[in-house]
Amino acid sequence: MNYDKIGFKSGLEIHQQLEGNKLFCRCPTLVNDENKPDIVIKRKLRTTTGEMGKIDEAAKFEMHRNRNFIYEGCSTSCCLLELDESPPEELNKDALETALQIALLVDARIVDIIQFMRKTVIDGSNVSGFQRTALIAVDGKIKTPRGEVKIPTICLEEESAKKITENENEVRYRLDRLGVPLIEIATDASLKDPEHVKETAGIIGMILRSTGKVKRGLGSIRQDLNVSIKGHPRVELKGFQDLRSIPKTIENEVIRQQENIKKGSLKSEVRKVEPDFSTTFLRPMPGSARMYPETDVPLIKITDSMIKKIKLPELLTEKVIKFEKKYNLNQDQAREVMDIPYFDDFVKRFRKVDSRYICKILTEIPKEIKARFDINADNLKETDFAFVLNALNENRISKSAVLDILKELAEGKKVVLDNYKTVSDSELEKHIAEIIKKNPGAPFNALMGGVMKQLKGKVDGKKAAELIRRLSER
Amino acid sequence: MKKEFSQADLIEILTKDNKTFKGINIPSKEDNTLFIKLDSGYNIGIDKSNIKRIKKLGKIKMGNIKNKSHKHDNALPTISILHTGGTVASEVDYKTGAVTPKFTPEELIAKFPEIQSVANIHSRLISNMFSDDMRFVHYNRIAGDIEKEVKKGVNGIILTHGTDTMHYTAAALSFMLQDLPIPVIIVGAQRSSDRGSSDAFLNLVSAALFIAKTDFAGVAICMHSSMNDKECLILPGLKSRKMHSSRRDAFKAINSKPIARVDYNNSFVEFLVHDHKKVDKKLKIKMKTIKENLKIGIVKAHPNMHASELKAYSSFNGLILEGTGLGHFPVSKIDQKTTEHVKILNEIKKLAKKMPVFITTQAIFGRTNMNVYSNGRKLLDAGVLGNFSDMTPETAFIKMAFLLSNYKKDEAKKLMNENLHGEISKRILGEDDFL
Repeated sequence: MNYDKIGFKSGLEIHQQLEGNKLFCRCPTLVNDENKPDIVIKRKLRTTTGEMGKIDEAAKFEMHRNRNFIYEGCSTSCCLLELDESPPEELNKDALETALQIALLVDARIVDIIQFMRKTVIDGSNVSGFQRTALIAVDGKIKTPRGEVKIPTICLEEESAKKITENENEVRYRLDRLGVPLIEIATDASLKDPEHVKETAGIIGMILRSTGKVKRGLGSIRQDLNVSIKGHPRVELKGFQDLRSIPKTIENEVIRQQENIKKGSLKSEVRKVEPDFSTTFLRPMPGSARMYPETDVPLIKITDSMIKKIKLPELLTEKVIKFEKKYNLNQDQAREVMDIPYFDDFVKRFRKVDSRYICKILTEIPKEIKARFDINADNLKETDFAFVLNALNENRISKSAVLDILKELAEGKKVVLDNYKTVSDSELEKHIAEIIKKNPGAPFNALMGGVMKQLKGKVDGKKAAELIRRLSER
Repeated sequence: MKKEFSQADLIEILTKDNKTFKGINIPSKEDNTLFIKLDSGYNIGIDKSNIKRIKKLGKIKMGNIKNKSHKHDNALPTISILHTGGTVASEVDYKTGAVTPKFTPEELIAKFPEIQSVANIHSRLISNMFSDDMRFVHYNRIAGDIEKEVKKGVNGIILTHGTDTMHYTAAALSFMLQDLPIPVIIVGAQRSSDRGSSDAFLNLVSAALFIAKTDFAGVAICMHSSMNDKECLILPGLKSRKMHSSRRDAFKAINSKPIARVDYNNSFVEFLVHDHKKVDKKLKIKMKTIKENLKIGIVKAHPNMHASELKAYSSFNGLILEGTGLGHFPVSKIDQKTTEHVKILNEIKKLAKKMPVFITTQAIFGRTNMNVYSNGRKLLDAGVLGNFSDMTPETAFIKMAFLLSNYKKDEAKKLMNENLHGEISKRILGEDDFL
């Protein structure tokens, strides 16, 4: 597909949750509080006539429903503010600092005076009926392999409540997530094609993670995407599970828009991304945001001295290159291992083990255990890896034992290292000689199989193969 | 930058670091900052010292709601809504972000359309102020305006009011509007009406429903019963109090039951008391005023108190003591370190000779009883009034102002201890939860 020719236009809007406290209260940011909800309230939301002065399809859509909103919260993660029963407290200064850091990382102009706004939200996902949001900086830019991408706005805002169930009369929300600080970064609509969108999303994600202040895990970062081709109005896609699903989903959306143009059915709407890379209708495209000042929050004046004091973290993009060089890794390995805080320490501690092999133990082997044995290897801890690496470093086990030991550890079993003790070279030679003697004339593969079966996990395969070749030649 | 721009001007600003910002000029009280609303809806402030140049690009049209005129429906009762300010009726202009009050009947109906099916609405602004700024003079104005509406023959009155001192106003009107033939329901909001979640909608519509559907006459408050948007309570004007700084169910009946509950979902009204005053069109309203120059004080007992705190009230006309527990002040000399307490007692004695001094309990719930401890007995001997009263400090304060305005001092003192309109309960029942 020639994306330039079809007038492909696309821009990203990335929302990233921050770690720490909520934006306007001192509740912790337990986005998925595991406690049972002990607060349940029932509310109605009104769309006032003033807002309806201008016809807004999304507002009308919601108003017609006149639904009840049920909010469930846990006292562990929700206070009066989430219930819209108290005014906002002091702004979370750490969150502001992170937002300013990010603004500087993308070379944006921080505004002189930040004013929090109330952005009207009518679907009930904010108990108050609005989201507190502030424009922090404008006119940023990032480098991508296919040229500079502009970052027109960086905002700091409150995360919404999470929808649990929904029917004609009632929508049920959980309040754990409401009020968690959220950074919103928007690009301009200059992204060139589906791959470029994915790349750009990856780069922005990396910039955000560079601060070390962002939440990790499912749902902690969300990519919303605006897509259109020539002759079709803008469509917003929401709910990408991961970056890999972006290109295929956009390709499908472009085909859908091409068919719409043929049918003459042109609608500007918000669509939900499905796991099979298709999309489904979510709601009509909302009109321009209705915003008015959040007068309960004082204005924030950003002075030059404040900006000078902000420490900029090393960008992960640069860190990747450093990692590649320092540990002799390829880019994928570097990217994966960079996020493991004890990798560097392991390289220093276990000097006899190659850094690439340490990387493999920490990243690839757990995946292999998962794929081959369907065992959850995510629960392997730093101490488990250190245990294995220490044994390797002291030459008490061979590399071929690593997977089996980690598998046992992942299963929660107690590992007896002696079972995996490396057979000494002379012993190995004895074993192999014996097997050759028992199986005269057997081909190499059969001999190798026999050796590995007998000495599984105790010998290094390479070394065994070498010995078999040497001894059988005799 | 010398040129000033007016609201709704579309301007372009060039800053000294060569950034261009385009937006609508937003008026502000900050001298050194220019605020603009960007196309995205966000407001930002630009330091005036950072501005190189401003260009006016044009003017935008202000948002205007088209109001439908409404017709009088003879089958429905007529309610006058009088506004004193607060957060009940305001509207946001999304172009400029300015919040402006809306008080004409048309504007109100545009905001609360369902009220049309309940009653014919008259609506008028009588003041637009924070309730904290209210003085006795304002009570007289409000009561005067209510009297006029009553004489017009309306079926009920809704008074919108800031919540902070709403219970003072409720008490004042309860005393001032004598022989009130119809309901006067005071309505406030804890969340401003510019937001979708405002409690103003439910409170206002419930008050109208209560007026339209019942025979209640008198002064009461209508506010949320819980954090849910489900039901409002009608609370007695003389026995209610704001008990939470921010929750929408902040108002509670004190030493008393709510008069009724109004279920918004099914428009159902249930009375919780059975001796309420009933609408009586034959009654002729008599309005009494409160003297504007009266000085009534409230002083709270606390540890390490000094006599000078009381001395400050020597030029006043009356004083409410917020005593601890059953009605106590630190008036006993226990050791050499408590000699100040003798001075405190002497000061109270002096004040009680000059003016009515009435004690309430800072525990808020329950009755005073100054017979139990010697600190109470000493206050009684000193001439302090208020034994066995369960009035809130606020109701006692208003009652004293009302009595001193309309009766001689000795008569006022006597009446302070007597129940006139239900402000002192005959019995306080042992309910599971007092709050």
